[in-house]
Amino acid sequence: MDGIPGLDEFRAEARRWLKGVAPPRSARQEWGSGDDSVAVFENRTEAEEREHTDRTRDWERTRYDQGWGALAWPPEYGGRELPVHYERLYRSEESAFDVPRRTEVFPVTQQLVAPAVRIWGTEEQRRRWLRPMLRTDELACQLFSETEAGSDLAAVRTRAVRDGDGWVLSGHKVWTSGARVATWGVAVCRTDPDVPKHAGITVFLVRMDAPGVTVRPIRQMTGGSSFNEVYLDDVFVPDADRLGPVGQGWRVTLTVLAAERLDSGVLGLDNADRALALARHLPRPLTGGEEQQAADLYVRALVQRLTGLRVTSALAAGREPGAEASVGKLHATATMRATTDLVQQLLGPRLAADTGEWGTYAWTEHLLGAPGYRIAGGSDEIQRNILAERVLGLPKEPKGEGR
Amino acid sequence: MFQLVADPAMLAETEEQRQLRAVLRDFLAETCGPEEVRRQIDSPRGHDRVLWDRLAAEIGVHGLAVPEEYDGAGYTFAELAVALEETGRVLCPAPLLSTVVLAGHALLAAGDRQACARWLPGIAAGALTATVAGFLQPADVTAERGPDGWVLRGETDFVPDGEDAGLLLVAARAPDGERLFACEPDGATCDRIARKVLDPTRRQACVRLRGQSAEPVGEPGQAAEIVDAVLDVGRVALAAEHVGGSAHALDELLAHLSQRTQFGRAIGSFQAVKHRLADLLVEVEGARSAAAYATACLAGAAPELPVAASAAAVACTGAYRLAATEYVQLHGGIGFTWEHPAHLYVRRARADEALFGTGDDHRRRLAGLLGLTGRTG
Repeated sequence: MDGIPGLDEFRAEARRWLKGVAPPRSARQEWGSGDDSVAVFENRTEAEEREHTDRTRDWERTRYDQGWGALAWPPEYGGRELPVHYERLYRSEESAFDVPRRTEVFPVTQQLVAPAVRIWGTEEQRRRWLRPMLRTDELACQLFSETEAGSDLAAVRTRAVRDGDGWVLSGHKVWTSGARVATWGVAVCRTDPDVPKHAGITVFLVRMDAPGVTVRPIRQMTGGSSFNEVYLDDVFVPDADRLGPVGQGWRVTLTVLAAERLDSGVLGLDNADRALALARHLPRPLTGGEEQQAADLYVRALVQRLTGLRVTSALAAGREPGAEASVGKLHATATMRATTDLVQQLLGPRLAADTGEWGTYAWTEHLLGAPGYRIAGGSDEIQRNILAERVLGLPKEPKGEGR
Repeated sequence: MFQLVADPAMLAETEEQRQLRAVLRDFLAETCGPEEVRRQIDSPRGHDRVLWDRLAAEIGVHGLAVPEEYDGAGYTFAELAVALEETGRVLCPAPLLSTVVLAGHALLAAGDRQACARWLPGIAAGALTATVAGFLQPADVTAERGPDGWVLRGETDFVPDGEDAGLLLVAARAPDGERLFACEPDGATCDRIARKVLDPTRRQACVRLRGQSAEPVGEPGQAAEIVDAVLDVGRVALAAEHVGGSAHALDELLAHLSQRTQFGRAIGSFQAVKHRLADLLVEVEGARSAAAYATACLAGAAPELPVAASAAAVACTGAYRLAATEYVQLHGGIGFTWEHPAHLYVRRARADEALFGTGDDHRRRLAGLLGLTGRTG
């Protein structure tokens, strides 16, 4: 059996492999030239999204087939059974190379859905789904939120009714990213309306090309479309595609949500760095107040990175990370807000009206996109509830009428 | 340039550090609880000599970061930071910051082996209290060579633990440049006036030198470099203390909000209240990350230290401000009483910012260090 490589050894090995399969990222571009996009949410047409997904999938397959995907997974799923923090180490090496930037459907498939399948799936489902998902032959999207079930996700009304050896699903899901390219949707459905709401939920994997599935893009406040609504009109799902026991769907859902929270700590850092570069290159001296504002953003971004490192460090030491693992998303959204505020101050009118100048009006994409992350993936308010009740252990809010 | 090159392992606590923390937590709970702190600050010296001796002899706190050749334990600053987090947690009035952190590191930064050999063993053993003067605030002290050696004249204010310290390390203007001097103050040539202070757990004095005999430490012209180094060490030390003090406030608030009932419910069940505690947790965890990084940079003599120290100062003074403010506010009326310890934390948090700079001072410094200044040319 292979031993676990040391950290430095692993990094060097990763670098060697990457050099053979991917071009290095071109040396830092000169300030004032190149792509000045700072979009928080990509805005692509369906054709562009498919093209980008295909390119990313090619890269993910290369990784997987050559032993650099699924690092923490056991060999039967094509992995090397390395400790989880090796994935982060690999990512930091990979960031020096020019490889396709993964859109959300990729981490959703590999980091959120696949682990839930491993925990909740039957032996047959694990055999059927895990390798294709880790290799991204199959891509999965989340069919979670509904118009009447946002923060109170357990209030979902999408119904799943028994029908022979399967189920018939009907309902309306919203805020699904990647729905146009995903092959599977993980649907949180109500199977028993007569029991307390958390007990009547079951999770299904739905083929996104099944009859009755309709995907429509949602136009968000940026003007572009990164999310979709998904209509399920009497969609038949075989019982073999039910994930976890009937009525246990809330626990399955929580497995996915917990992974999502852990994954959100690096958001906003690239744009914070870009805003700091703007502060360095602004063609006039900063005022004292502006200097303080810029330095404050620097500290926020540093602290966010360090807190992420502490999580890695706890995992590396074989410990469960503590509170540091749960604060990442609030750090991230605060960083994004501070980025907007600094850029607003530095750019003045050139943020509000497009003069055509490089790296100015482009920031409107950040300004308009950042509010989305305070709502997505568990709103900031829900994150605070989680910190207060689950991490600190404060008493729960008395439940309202919805049980 | 804003990327972070850091090994995650450097932020992790070692098993030895965990044990040190546990031992100190128990020891200080027993010897330095809220009542005991008040008794100490009302005493003439402002701290308890017995506790000072026990911290040195039984736990060995004073010598943790002192090299073995000067009778220290020869660990790094990381171990001392663990101790400071714990003493900061209970507002222990022992003059560790002035003696062990500031004076101890001034001697080390000067690199004067003779001076180190003369005073560091006493500091490590707890036999000597010491502080620095003319480091934290502009001072007007001159040194001249008299018939019996060097003498110091002038005034230096806001000297931490300045009234009681057995050894003063003074930055002074000498004919051959600014340099560091050491003196053991003599009542005949040195007046030390205790200032009335915002934070009674950390006293300050105005020191007037009237021909006080002194010995040079290190080389002429070296003062600025020593002061810079010592200030960064002080900032990292305060960051550790602030993490401890903030975490204490968070723990006390958690207990109070879980027990106190109003309107028939624990007040911690109200979302308006629990979200504030969640926000405090976010700040405290951020402070912990920044302090751990600054400590690692100092322990490893990393070139990033000035940036890391100021970043920690921003994150930790911010967290401590918030923690102390909420400590009072979320306790309601009882939190505003003299008897409740919360105000001691408000006092410590605010007075400490006057020592090495407020968060905004450090933001300005960072802007300079990182070039976040726009184009000035």
